[in-house]
Amino acid sequence: MAAPSELFCWKAGLGLPSVNTDCLIVLAYARFSGAPLKIHKISNPWRSPTGSLPALRTKEEGSCSQPSQIIIQLRKQKYNADYDLSAKEGADTLAFTSLLEERLLPALIYALWVDPKNYAEVTRRWYGENMCFPLNFFLPGRMQNRQLERLRLIRGNDALEAGEEAEKELYHDALECLNLLSQRLGSNKFFFGDSPSSLDAYVFGHLAPLIKIQLPNCRLQQNLKNLDNLSTYCSNILSLYFPSESKEGVGRPVSSTQQGGDFDNEPYKRRKQLLSVLVAVAAMLSYALLTGIVAIEHMQEEHVGPASLRGPSHEDEEEE
Amino acid sequence: MSLAAEAFVSQIAAAEPWPENATLYQPLKEDQILLSDSASSLAVQTFLRMCGLPVLVSCRANAEYMSPSGKVPFIHVGNQVVSELGPIVQFTKAKGHALSDGLDDVQRAEMKAYMELVNNMLLTAELYIQWCDDYTATEISRPRYSNPYSWPLNHVLAYQKQWEIRRKMNAIGWSGKNLEQVYEDVSQCCQALSQRLGTQPYFFNKQPTELDALVFGHLFTILTTQLTSDELAEKVKSYSNLLSFCHRIEQTYFKEHEREGQFGSSRHSKSSLP
Repeated sequence: MAAPSELFCWKAGLGLPSVNTDCLIVLAYARFSGAPLKIHKISNPWRSPTGSLPALRTKEEGSCSQPSQIIIQLRKQKYNADYDLSAKEGADTLAFTSLLEERLLPALIYALWVDPKNYAEVTRRWYGENMCFPLNFFLPGRMQNRQLERLRLIRGNDALEAGEEAEKELYHDALECLNLLSQRLGSNKFFFGDSPSSLDAYVFGHLAPLIKIQLPNCRLQQNLKNLDNLSTYCSNILSLYFPSESKEGVGRPVSSTQQGGDFDNEPYKRRKQLLSVLVAVAAMLSYALLTGIVAIEHMQEEHVGPASLRGPSHEDEEEE
Repeated sequence: MSLAAEAFVSQIAAAEPWPENATLYQPLKEDQILLSDSASSLAVQTFLRMCGLPVLVSCRANAEYMSPSGKVPFIHVGNQVVSELGPIVQFTKAKGHALSDGLDDVQRAEMKAYMELVNNMLLTAELYIQWCDDYTATEISRPRYSNPYSWPLNHVLAYQKQWEIRRKMNAIGWSGKNLEQVYEDVSQCCQALSQRLGTQPYFFNKQPTELDALVFGHLFTILTTQLTSDELAEKVKSYSNLLSFCHRIEQTYFKEHEREGQFGSSRHSKSSLP
């Protein structure tokens, strides 16, 4: 364990330490297990070692992107938040994680990426504002297509479209899952005793976007308000393990590297550079036109026919 | 099923009692059915037996296309057609037969979670081994899946199914796994089930529930199906309480019907547990 591993994830936004569920899971687990990671909060997935976020880069084992693989890597480095769990609790962790992925995740994908109003007003706006030029033009659209396809494949329904029917079905399943989670959590602080485990990381990663992000068109959020213990649970984790982010709301990333600063300024810097280059080229062209071609037209008016070919060179010699 | 359709079906379902001629449709047992479909079908059959509801098993080559959701098995009861274990459980509940009524809220949450675990890990692993492992796909899955059809339809359908499954694996992040990792996942899943079962006769002590039916369906099929390698069955066999669980359910619910041929052997599967 010579140098700390590096974790690349989406930067903070919309009231959360990271806008992406998988990144939230990994960040939460890292905080729970006390792993000393060098965290790079970026907004350009192409800069990550695996091409997608989150990504963990270790010196020995290369890079991986799936949250479950990242957690396994951290466990290998002896940062294990599940150390105190009994075998049965470990089994419950697997079971409830599967429940989350099958029932809650589709509704989350729908609410953030497929529902047209939410996508236009919240998701696309955030990604468009926070990605660098020119990625912000096409990458959110591409991400939306991928998420829709992923949703269709998870549900096994190729004809799934944004609409009343799909929304009702997905939210119904998700609400059932949330009720089950609420019943399992009861009035405990965390799912297994007083210290958080990987299941808490998974639940937090899926639940926090639903609770914290203000979505204009999401009936599920209204139903969630009735489940007090889940809201308290999320706020608890945010205040205990992500104190700086929870205070600022939509704040700057806490642990950003020197690259983070550049990415914030870069879209404007590049735009300015491009504009100035364009202005310079336009100026040179217009100068060339003004001195060259305008002169040619002038000559053609006065001298008819054959002389026009020699006109510009004649004019150039005179000027020089 | 959509919510509106579900509510409608429940209403109609509640009106009539379970008929004698209820039928369960699945692909051809001898030549066509694959491991994952066989497991799902056995789970439904076990559930119905646990409820004490009679059902005839009918094998059809086009069962997958007859099904309303595209998945097998499906049951034809009265004038309704319901597919997959989840909706079938709700359907039978509407008719007044339920196995999980005695559970409290926390137990019901756990039961649903463990059912999702089986679907998420065990079923997905079965699909992966069948369709994403080239050797198994070539030797077993594609020939069996397209068995009833003539050339060139058999090739087209088989490759189409394989492509569809591989896309799904890609979407859920399983395409980066190799066979060893999948076997490891199966082992983890079995360990979780074994831990939850402990020394009890069923997952929720004395009474069987749909979770028991689902787990039995999958584990029994894995243990009695011959694949290109025995590693999958070996992973399950290493948990003795799961083996005795399967024996127990087989003895209780299936032994007396064995002579009727409902549970007969085929080239693909062995007839009873080793």
